[in-house]
Amino acid sequence: MISAEPVLRLKNITKRFQGTVALKKVSMNVENGEILAVMGENGAGKSTLMKILSGLYPGSEMEGDIFLNGRPVIFHSPIDSENHGIAMIYQELNLELDLSVTENICLGRLPKNNFGLINWKAAEETAREALARLNTELDMALTVRNLSPSLQQLISIARALVRTPSILILDEPTSVLTQRETDHLMKIIRKLQDQGLSCIYISHKLDEVFDLCDRLVVLRDGFYVSEYRKKDGYDSTRIIKDMIGRNLDVMYPRRSGFSGAEILRVENLCVPHPTAYGKEIINDVSFTLNKGEILGLAGLVGSGRSETINAIFGSIPRKAGRIFMENEEVFIDSPMSAKKYGIGLLTEDRKKNGLVSTMSVCHNMTLTVLQKIRGSLLLNLDKEKEIAGEYFKKLKVKAPDLDTLVANLSGGNQQKVILSKWLITDLKVLLLDEPTRGIDVGTKSEIYRIINELADSGISIVMILSELPELLAVCDRFIVLGKGVVQAEMSREEATEVSILRASSNI
Amino acid sequence: MKKAGAPEHSNVFRKFLHRQESSIIIALVIYIIFVSFVNPTFISSGNIFNMFRSSGFSLIAITGMTLILITGGLDLSVGSVLALGGVVSGMVVQAGMPVFVAILAGMAMGALIGTINGTLVVKVNIPPLIVTLGMMYATRGLVAVITRGVPVYPLPKKFMNIEQLKLFGVVPTVVILAFFIAAIFHVVLNRTPFGRSVYAVGGNEEAARISGINTSRTKFNVYLITSVLSSLAGVMMAARLGSGESAAGTGFELTVICASIIGGTSVAGGRGTILGAILGGFFLEILTNSLTLMRISVYWQQLVVGTVLILAVMLDQYKRNYMLRQSLKTNITDSTSLGVSDK
Repeated sequence: MISAEPVLRLKNITKRFQGTVALKKVSMNVENGEILAVMGENGAGKSTLMKILSGLYPGSEMEGDIFLNGRPVIFHSPIDSENHGIAMIYQELNLELDLSVTENICLGRLPKNNFGLINWKAAEETAREALARLNTELDMALTVRNLSPSLQQLISIARALVRTPSILILDEPTSVLTQRETDHLMKIIRKLQDQGLSCIYISHKLDEVFDLCDRLVVLRDGFYVSEYRKKDGYDSTRIIKDMIGRNLDVMYPRRSGFSGAEILRVENLCVPHPTAYGKEIINDVSFTLNKGEILGLAGLVGSGRSETINAIFGSIPRKAGRIFMENEEVFIDSPMSAKKYGIGLLTEDRKKNGLVSTMSVCHNMTLTVLQKIRGSLLLNLDKEKEIAGEYFKKLKVKAPDLDTLVANLSGGNQQKVILSKWLITDLKVLLLDEPTRGIDVGTKSEIYRIINELADSGISIVMILSELPELLAVCDRFIVLGKGVVQAEMSREEATEVSILRASSNI
Repeated sequence: MKKAGAPEHSNVFRKFLHRQESSIIIALVIYIIFVSFVNPTFISSGNIFNMFRSSGFSLIAITGMTLILITGGLDLSVGSVLALGGVVSGMVVQAGMPVFVAILAGMAMGALIGTINGTLVVKVNIPPLIVTLGMMYATRGLVAVITRGVPVYPLPKKFMNIEQLKLFGVVPTVVILAFFIAAIFHVVLNRTPFGRSVYAVGGNEEAARISGINTSRTKFNVYLITSVLSSLAGVMMAARLGSGESAAGTGFELTVICASIIGGTSVAGGRGTILGAILGGFFLEILTNSLTLMRISVYWQQLVVGTVLILAVMLDQYKRNYMLRQSLKTNITDSTSLGVSDK
């Protein structure tokens, strides 16, 4: 049933951003009526490729050619791509939560009657038909906010189907679904395949991909690496190797790996899901952290790594779980109390909740110790300058002076300011969520050097890093999260990229 | 190595531009010079004290409002609270209580409304616009209920004296009080942990919370402070008029917000100074006073005030963008030289 000409052909696609190249001469085909998986680590170029296909990155800003059914096309905008029959389901569902099911499915294509008004009857009919193709029946007047994530997902697929696409792109569609919901989605995707639709499926989850996809393409560092066919059988070890097999181009400082007595113990942590109401992202997680140790928290996107450390820090609520500091139970219900016990957090997104961008470097650094730099009543500004200046020099922050607005600093230097903010406190445990995200290579190794020095000075660190090779190089011990629980614990000797990826994808 | 962001800062003018209040000061000076030429009575000592005296009431509330705006909040209930403070203190003094008890009773009303505002914003998490809009109506209603719409009149001379006494025979108490309060909160904002957290909450509430700052208490306190100050302004107003008017302070909230914004306070939060806001209050006062002196019809005055508000924000934005461009100039040239051309 596969015709000679592929429905989609990509030839030598190259996409450059300022200073970096995200895709390097990638060529691949999507055959008619097949389900193709695109796999790769974070940063391999999957999302860039999909954003090119969906028209988010306009065709004029890339090199290479796209052929649809043999004809060359250029997508200038998402509407362009949609009109050519490419439908994209994003990982973050982009539904209008306060509109009805009908309105969401027909959004932008609401049929009109002779008076130019919306023909609701026809709209509802169209929406109902689209849902029927997905074996789903719903009250069409329901507000989408009240529906479960899996139903919301089906509605986004139905919305795509209304546009009669020939290619459906699904980006990590199962990250918020349960096993049963996932199975249901798989069935639906197969049914759509039978109806002649081609599908590009992006997922980290090897078991799903092996089960569903006819063919699998691996990207790494922006390059096309290899492809495998279902009929030849998938070999997980080889595929994982293809996904991660690169040389480290950053030098990581090695350390002795000394660690002392237990400082932090987390027991039976349970954290509600941030977006899916009524579900838990972390069901039952327990672990310990020793003095002067760097513990790596591994896991896939959506495995709840960030939520785990945020719940420990008290910045998001937890459902259950006890926390012990130096064998004494502590009660942390807010960042304020976490700080009191000597715990600090560097968040994933500096701009969102790390920096106060309207404030200077100095004022950002001392946010955590306002009470300490107070004299009897007023802030001691000389003392503040002195303390902040000490860390400004120690961490070699590159800024004209302490009064520079923190917004004018580069990413790496902003990160140093946030690190200083916690180092100024009486810190025992530092939780780091992607401390090197969006930071250039040089500053990156500088940040790792600082982190090592902290551990050597007796501060214990929990670290989340999506770049596995970096995580492996920096940490002393590893915990792998998956499906809401600890899937594996590994020493530095046991941990390899393959073993961690295996544990996190649960094969 | 060239320093990014700090080219030739020694320049005095540039240093002045970097101050948040620079736009309002420039505007004030130009306008005062202009009006003085058109009508010299404007700068007569009589007129100047007159302006000080009538702006005193709003200056007291402007100080509080500026704190709220810096946290990214808003308070529309200040006008109603002003009326409540006035009538309650008037009734207490009419009942034969000592003057200081009357003042405290008026301010206690402010504390009550402020507590309700703060609690609803912080604990119940209702947007400040809605909370204080509701409280603006509710408080005004409360005033009508307790006065039955009748002014609290007459008030004893000893009560009226608190506003009508003049320091050195010329400076009215309300002016001294307004400056005293502004000075205190200037120091509070710049030199105390509370003041710093006000800026932090407005700049990035989540980042402030994660730094272990008690953002709830900070937000609660600014609403409490503002209401107490507004009720104090109400007490002074009642003393001035010799009557507790239930309609006092209608539209007051908009004047106060307007003044603070003209003075460079950002409604998005994180930026603003007491000095700037006070100057903004003066500017508004000078504007209405001078328009009257220049025999421009009252009908035109609101049109002018509205235009000035928008111009002030435009000027401020232009100034900030200009300074940002200056400080980023070196950075931008650095990064473009790194950029890879597409073709």
